[in-house]
Amino acid sequence: MVLRTEPFILNMGPQHPSTHGVFRMRLTLDGEVVVDLEPVFGYLHRSMDKISETRTYQQIIPLTDRCLDYLASMSNNLSYVLAVEKLADIKVPERAEYLRVIMAEMMRISSHLMAVGFMLNDMGAFFTPLMYMFREREKLLDLFEMVSGQRLNYNYMRIGGVSQDVPEEFLPALKRFVQEMPHFIDEYDQLLAENEILLARSKGVGVLPADLAVNSSASGPVLRASGVKWDIRRGDPYSIYDRFAFDIPTGTAGDVYDRYRVRIQEMRESVRILEQAIAQLPGGLHRARVPYLLRPPVGEVYGRIEAPRGELGFYLVSDGSIAPYRLHVRGPSFLNLTALRDMVVGWKVADVVVILGSIDIVMGEVDR
Amino acid sequence: MGVTIAFWLLAIMCIISALAVVLGRNIFRAALLLALLFFSVAGLYIILNADFLAAVQVLIYVGAVAILVLLAIMLTRDVTAGGALNKFRLPALIFSLLLVMALVYSVLSTPWQISPQAPLETTTAALGEKLFGEGGFILPVEVAAVLLLASALGAIVLVKEKDGKWKSG
Amino acid sequence: MPWNWFDRPLPADWPGGYWWHLLVFAVFIVGLTLTMVMIFIYLERRGVARFQIRPGPNRCGPFGIMQPMADAIKVLFKEDIVPDKADGVLHWLAPVVAFFPALLILAVVPFHNGAALVDLDIGILYVIAVSSISTLGVVMAGWSSNNKYSLIAAIRAIAQTVSYELPMVLSIIGVIVLTGSLSLNDIVARQSVPFIFFQPLGFLIFLIGLMAEMNRSPFDLMEAESEIVAGFHTEYSSMKQALFYLAEYAHAFGGAAIISTLFLGGWKGPILPPLVWLLLKTVLVFAIMFWARATLPRVRIDQFMGFLWKGLLPLALINLFFTAAEVLVWPDGLPLALIPINFVAAGFLIVVWSGLIKFGGGRVAVQ
Repeated sequence: MVLRTEPFILNMGPQHPSTHGVFRMRLTLDGEVVVDLEPVFGYLHRSMDKISETRTYQQIIPLTDRCLDYLASMSNNLSYVLAVEKLADIKVPERAEYLRVIMAEMMRISSHLMAVGFMLNDMGAFFTPLMYMFREREKLLDLFEMVSGQRLNYNYMRIGGVSQDVPEEFLPALKRFVQEMPHFIDEYDQLLAENEILLARSKGVGVLPADLAVNSSASGPVLRASGVKWDIRRGDPYSIYDRFAFDIPTGTAGDVYDRYRVRIQEMRESVRILEQAIAQLPGGLHRARVPYLLRPPVGEVYGRIEAPRGELGFYLVSDGSIAPYRLHVRGPSFLNLTALRDMVVGWKVADVVVILGSIDIVMGEVDR
Repeated sequence: MGVTIAFWLLAIMCIISALAVVLGRNIFRAALLLALLFFSVAGLYIILNADFLAAVQVLIYVGAVAILVLLAIMLTRDVTAGGALNKFRLPALIFSLLLVMALVYSVLSTPWQISPQAPLETTTAALGEKLFGEGGFILPVEVAAVLLLASALGAIVLVKEKDGKWKSG
Repeated sequence: MPWNWFDRPLPADWPGGYWWHLLVFAVFIVGLTLTMVMIFIYLERRGVARFQIRPGPNRCGPFGIMQPMADAIKVLFKEDIVPDKADGVLHWLAPVVAFFPALLILAVVPFHNGAALVDLDIGILYVIAVSSISTLGVVMAGWSSNNKYSLIAAIRAIAQTVSYELPMVLSIIGVIVLTGSLSLNDIVARQSVPFIFFQPLGFLIFLIGLMAEMNRSPFDLMEAESEIVAGFHTEYSSMKQALFYLAEYAHAFGGAAIISTLFLGGWKGPILPPLVWLLLKTVLVFAIMFWARATLPRVRIDQFMGFLWKGLLPLALINLFFTAAEVLVWPDGLPLALIPINFVAAGFLIVVWSGLIKFGGGRVAVQ
């Protein structure tokens, strides 16, 4: 006897509580089991690449805040200005370099807090871990507000440095944060890390094997959770990252749980970097003298950093004018989504949102 | 007086819902009306002072059987378009009429005996005695249960392939 | 056995007779349920807010106690939307079917010695039978909405129902063996020591089953917000949605009242009046529920069913076996010395059993 069945197609998104924005997955289900997944995106497309061709190099910085990963604006700023500085061969003052590293690592902590919190929320932990993580993120946002006057789209980095020096109350507040943060990270661990339900929901779920991770050009915590020890801060050091001692946490299984652990560990490492950077912070100028209407020499450049979500690269082509001839963004969220189908197929509907949460996408960066 | 009114209400509800189950086009609604039918039968049990049976009727038939029927219906398509208009309509009509005639005849011709005893106040304890007490019916009940289990397992085996995978296609 | 109320002589101590008694109790129960739903909603919102280091609703009235009222008024004025191609009649009927069992449960809960709407001989069986109807409402809502999330929720609801009812009923049987009666009033009357001390494992199993039945996190698989939007009431709005909300909390109240009656001594307690004791115990049970909601992630449907069938069902059977053995040895009431033994045995069983079963993984090979 053969039962004739037909697939059940479920459109998850673009309006869905846990697709992290306007992402749509066309799931083919067999009961609750996902047989096929087709990601559909582009609902948030704002044409960042094309708009950039009509802006001067300085004017693009605020665009990187908004049109890309809006949960890690500082990292976007940093990646872009590094690319431009590489293109125009601009030397950045020491103090600015340190401030940039401090901002980038603070951003990484803030972004990972959101990522872990929302992943647990997708798992159904009704906002409690998220709220605890928001408590610390709030402190970071206050710090960012001190230096840039903004809480989400900072527009802080400038070509040749940062827009302004930090106010004097910033460093004591940051030092206090750095002191407290390891304790709070322990608290997150205590809250759920060994919880039986969390382990059952995340261990072995959504495995991304190392070779597949590399082949699908995944990066960031997603790649490292699969056991590939690749961090651009170490592998291709930019700014002054070669001066700091920090470890690169990696996972072994490449499942949701490893991605969760890697992010928690990376927060600890970021705190370490922050400690060292605060101790070494030199005085001096915060910004080199760079013409407002910068005209980089003709040529092309690819600048990349290790953003919280992975390798964030800017490919710039200059024709010698005040605006880039072409700008292309390599967004880690977008490329990490490549392997989504391979991770999800065979799991249940409930796992789809958790796996998606563990990849930690920001639709602003996926759709650009 | 009150019992009579309740009986007629429940009886009418029973017959109407039963007819609607058979004649309705929408299978999902038919299954829900089946639940209503089970529910009104439970009401009839209450009138007969069989409170335990009534509760079990609701628990098993409304809470489990009707719901599993609904599950099966939800997994199929064209639920609203299905109906009684198929080629077995006429034979079904004839056979059900025959069945009704047989039932009516046997009900009318049986000399029903009315027990002079007052109905039991608490049926649960008496049922328990009958089931687990001396010379109880526990063995036949267990045998029936094993039989049902075997048929359930048989159904599973029928739709399962040799290599342990579920058939679908 | 009050099935034949109609044919009975009126008791002398009720001035208006049974009808009067029924009317008073019915109004009392409806009023109490609605009040307790408001209190529960308020407590949960404030309590969960405290878990999440935020203040919670505190603007509407003193300490925000008028917030549930304000929400209710707001929801009344919302537009009622029925999706295109939905089964209108069933869509309208589903919240009602989901709501009324919650009220029916409370009909047999004693608020004082003998003070229940009816003291049924089959009390607890009636409770289980009636509460199984609410699944019908969920299924109706899920199917009639013409929405795939709702449909998944309805199928989950059925799968969940068949799984949780068995361990739940088996854990109740432990209590029934101890009392020898199905009547809730008798069960309370027999509890000189609350049964949770003699039935710690039964209490836990019943609590988990109840949380599954009442659709509370971490078992709120039918309305799992992050997975299937709002589950069976995705397509509900306005008063119908409010009725589902009301049903959820009324069911929580009913379930908490039942668990207090079965395991926590019901209305019994020193000094305070019996009704206050019962309500305090329901609030305590409800506090455990929202504590779990504020803390735990949601289990997956297959893991949950595995947990119920492989974890709770054998444990409930073992619990029943042990209880029966204890009652056989001490037919005139269990000695208090059994209490620590029971707790140790329950803890041992839980630890051993949780070591025996694993719930991780669950990938299905797809060709």
